[in-house]
Amino acid sequence: MNTTFYVRRLHSLCGLLFLGAVLFEHIFTNSTALLGPEGLDSALAMMELIPKPIFYCLEIGCIAVPLLFHGIYGIYIALQAKNNPGHYGYVRNWQFALQRWTAWYLVVFLIWHIFYLRIYLKGIMGHPINYALLDSYLSNPIVFILYLLAMVAACFHFCNGITTFCMTWGIAKGPRVQNVISVLSMLLCVGLCLVVLAFMLHYVIM
Amino acid sequence: MAENKKKVTLIIERQDGPKEKPYKQTFEVDYRPGLNIVAALMEIQKNPVTKDGKRVAPVVWECNCLEKVCGACMMVINGRARQACASLVDNLEQPITLAPARTFPVIRDLLIDRSVMFESLKRIQGWINVEGSWDMPDAPRQNPYTAQTAYEISHCMTCGCCLEACPNVGPQSDFIGAGPTVQAYLFNINPIGKYDEPKRLEALMGKGGITSCGNSQNCVEVCPKNIKLTTYLAQLNRDVNKHALANIFNK
Repeated sequence: MNTTFYVRRLHSLCGLLFLGAVLFEHIFTNSTALLGPEGLDSALAMMELIPKPIFYCLEIGCIAVPLLFHGIYGIYIALQAKNNPGHYGYVRNWQFALQRWTAWYLVVFLIWHIFYLRIYLKGIMGHPINYALLDSYLSNPIVFILYLLAMVAACFHFCNGITTFCMTWGIAKGPRVQNVISVLSMLLCVGLCLVVLAFMLHYVIM
Repeated sequence: MAENKKKVTLIIERQDGPKEKPYKQTFEVDYRPGLNIVAALMEIQKNPVTKDGKRVAPVVWECNCLEKVCGACMMVINGRARQACASLVDNLEQPITLAPARTFPVIRDLLIDRSVMFESLKRIQGWINVEGSWDMPDAPRQNPYTAQTAYEISHCMTCGCCLEACPNVGPQSDFIGAGPTVQAYLFNINPIGKYDEPKRLEALMGKGGITSCGNSQNCVEVCPKNIKLTTYLAQLNRDVNKHALANIFNK
């Protein structure tokens, strides 16, 4: 049985569907911080309304498992590349290299992010995640910059992933349609980054 | 006036054997209009003396047709994979650097062993089983439009530029590269070759097959024959996905 193909395609689907949804959920929920403490806290309270067993199933089945699979198999994929945009400085080759560099950053960042916020603070210490906590957390400029970088990296990785998804699934075949999709997904990336910048700066300015 | 003659400087990455350490040597050859890299290497072969006046072993490289058809003289010129015979000195920034395409095993100096591509062509079944001989009215028909595509892909001379430029081809990976992959499509669109399409798609689904493509698209940029490699890779991706769906739901 030829598993390479199926595992590889599963990696692609996992990233686009599950992790894309996780990214959108994060951007959407966190953007409610623009409405002030009440905005974010009520959005987080809505999530608390999900019954705990279902919530844990979603967390494990739709976040943890896809993330671990995509991350671990992704490391294996990234190790097969010898990035060469210095010699072949085409836009797509830069995007190819950036896809892998953002991936490395996100692997390290997500270990810190998940272990500190989800497992240590929320899980072990029982500290609820709310506006006040994030406000004081992000007031540390190093944390702020590392989080901002991670969000930009995740937005790029996801949006460039849409382009490569369309190529690897044979949806976009010719150069014209591939270019159109690439430009559209980079515009989406810019849009997402602006939203991220807006709600993150909101913590610092307010 | 011989001293005032314009010179061309070449910095060549050399290697005495497959396991030896690479080193660099600088050579100077007389400039002449229309000089290409193969001709410059021939000048060095006639008088293998470095810029510092040291007599050395002549530089080894490979070339055949001298008209960008055979693919043998592919090397890395100024950091970019291309054919030495079609690289005019006038179009290159000086000093010109020459290096072997290290995606392939280096035999000596600029000479590389490209037989891995032949193995890949065997793997994807890059041939038509029995074309047979046919009387005119019974012969399988070639669609003229498909034939145009086939003609384009058949220009591939397995030079290996696409493999050298690809970040996913090399000792760190088992990807067979764009050129050999796209050859599968050439034989899939042949009226007789299409009967073996499932076999070729199965081969492409294996380790190091089409799934190892990471869409850097360097291949289509460097292809000296201007084959629309990324278009055919996407078409093969489509075919492979359909084949996989059939595998899942037909068994």
